[in-house]
Amino acid sequence: MAQLSLRGVRKNFKNVEVLQGIDLDIRDRELIVFVGPSGCGKSTLLRLIAGLDPMTAGEFVLNGKSMQGVAPSKRDIAMVFQSYALYPHMNVYDNMAFGARLMGLSKAEVQARIDEAAGMLQLEPLLDRKPRELSGGQRQRVAIGRALARKPSVFLLDEPLSNLDAALRSDVRLEIAKLHRKIGATMIYVTHDQVEAMTLADRIVVMRGGLIEQVGTPRELYETPANAFVGTFIGSPRMSLLETTRDGPHFGIEGSGSIALPGAPETGQKVTLGLRPDAMHLGLADAPDGFDAEFEYAEYLGNEAYLYARLGDGTRVSLKGDTASCAHQPGDTVRICPDPAQLHYFDTETGRSFRSA
Amino acid sequence: MDAPDTTEAPTQKSRLPRLRMSGRGMWITFLLVPPLAVMALFVIYPIVSALAYAFYDWQGLRRGEFVGFANFSKVLFDEPFATTTWNAFKNNVFVFFALMIIQNGLGFILAYALWRDLPGARFHRIAVFLPVVLSTVIIGYVWKLFFHPIFGAVNQLLRSVGLDVFAGPWLGDPDTALNALIFVNAWAWVGFPTLVFLAGLQRIPSEILDAARMETDSELLLIRKIIWPLIAPSATVCFILLFIGSFNWFELPYIMVGLDGSPFGTTDVLGLYFYRTAFGNQSAGIQDFGMGSALAVLMFLFIAVVATVWTIYLRRREIEV
Ligand SMILES: Nc1ncnc2c1ncn2[C@@H]1O[C@H](COP(=O)(O)OP(=O)(O)OP(=O)(O)O)[C@@H](O)[C@H]1O
Ligand SMILES: [Mg+2]
Repeated sequence: MAQLSLRGVRKNFKNVEVLQGIDLDIRDRELIVFVGPSGCGKSTLLRLIAGLDPMTAGEFVLNGKSMQGVAPSKRDIAMVFQSYALYPHMNVYDNMAFGARLMGLSKAEVQARIDEAAGMLQLEPLLDRKPRELSGGQRQRVAIGRALARKPSVFLLDEPLSNLDAALRSDVRLEIAKLHRKIGATMIYVTHDQVEAMTLADRIVVMRGGLIEQVGTPRELYETPANAFVGTFIGSPRMSLLETTRDGPHFGIEGSGSIALPGAPETGQKVTLGLRPDAMHLGLADAPDGFDAEFEYAEYLGNEAYLYARLGDGTRVSLKGDTASCAHQPGDTVRICPDPAQLHYFDTETGRSFRSA
Repeated sequence: MDAPDTTEAPTQKSRLPRLRMSGRGMWITFLLVPPLAVMALFVIYPIVSALAYAFYDWQGLRRGEFVGFANFSKVLFDEPFATTTWNAFKNNVFVFFALMIIQNGLGFILAYALWRDLPGARFHRIAVFLPVVLSTVIIGYVWKLFFHPIFGAVNQLLRSVGLDVFAGPWLGDPDTALNALIFVNAWAWVGFPTLVFLAGLQRIPSEILDAARMETDSELLLIRKIIWPLIAPSATVCFILLFIGSFNWFELPYIMVGLDGSPFGTTDVLGLYFYRTAFGNQSAGIQDFGMGSALAVLMFLFIAVVATVWTIYLRRREIEV
């Protein structure tokens, strides 16, 4: 059982306000992922939850109890660090047993827990080794095992995969997803890799500059981003943002003409259109309802291709196309034809989505 | 080396150029030879000759006949020398254990406080280390003045706060003289273990400490189970150097209490006794190079053997962070 609730959480380092008021509720057994660009305060928030740093203001309530002044070790929270942070002078067994023993468990109980954790993470053959005798992936598993052995109600993981190579990363990612289903603990997972976020999360928290931009399931974030930042942050290749001037149903871009979008919501005059690569296609030069653009280059991927073109105002758009489109030469004039059903409308000034407003 | 017949020729060929010195090899030789020569002349030669001297009978500076282990047996077992030797040795042992506790112990505590950034850490970081760079001669002289029974700052301070009972002839009282010396040594040198421990503490990755703090809120446990093992290399340095320093202790007692280890030999240590024996002094009257050399050899052997064994033991518990 673990419900976390953050209310108005702020954190200052000297004069810099790193977290500027975080409100968030995390449900029991949820795997929640914090994403955001580097320096947005993800690790800081995680450390506040762990109790490793004090909050400047705000409240953190875990299972109805305020965690104000509660020591990290008394919070029933375990953390997996980016650098693994294994105790270098202890073997794998003792690394995992250290915390469990300190909880006052009997010898047999400690043994049982380590057997269980080691079994889950395939650490049995490594129990006698020192951390320096392990590979990166093995160390990572020990770090997770150390957290597991304490059976905490909340797991915090700060970029646990960032030191692993790509192949290992997807393996361990799978392990973590399996683990979460099996033990059913609440997990908070920090990453700036949006693929990790999308594949693991029950819900994603997108942060920027010490604030939460949006909280939602991966699908919600992808389909209904609350603002242009979330739109571009989630999804790969990135969503293209087209700054247009609206005149009734017509949306115009300087040097690229205008198109009519009859189903558009109520907006102001300055509208930014958000287009994912598959929300537009390349039309012929005279296709209706398209923007003129200059073809730049194509990335051939075998079954499909990513195409890049530049609009009249200099904005680059990336779109998915069929492989035949690769025949275009750089400099060719093409038409970018958006699919009105998959369009996102953002306020150019505030970035806010008009749909969700 | 699977097929010796065919590989022999090329191996020899490839070995040949290695004999000729490359430019780099010349440089290394050029840089190594002078210091090695100096070392041989001023370190190895004296040690070897001291070893040799210890086996001869000496009249003043004139070498007599070969006497085997007679000098050794004299300083160790014949009175009145044996009593003096063992008394000095006992004092060295006492100095070592006392300094282990107050100098290294306090050094660790200070380092820990500085590391935790307690208020004023920056000032204290310098203040603690300052005496280390002062010359032992100055420290000994100044503290000898401080301990003066009548004019000394120590007694004046005690009297000014009404603790007259404790005011005493610190360096003249057999009960306090050695302790006073130990105190001054610790005062002067505590900065060294502090600095070494502080360097060790600062090398500990902060995430390891965070990880430990997630598992325990007991500071003592954290120190005992995590921090102390991780600064084992610092401890090795402090322990071994203190051991060597304690058994070679000479300058401070020489300056503060003189060659005789007064009062009544209570501050006598092997260093002083060796000096008296080898080079003579007014009170002792004798000068015996043979016995002095025997003492020096015994001291050297004792320090070398214990320091080596202990270092091996200490190194074994060290780990790479
Ligand atoms: N101890 C500190 N003192 C001063 N500033 C700090 C401290 N820790 C973090 N910061 C600042 O707070 C901001 C947020 O840092 P944080 O480590 O939380 O970022 P992050 O989102 O985890 O980034 P990354 O993805 O790179 O890990 C950064 O601008 C950083 O410089
Ligand atoms: Mg971080």
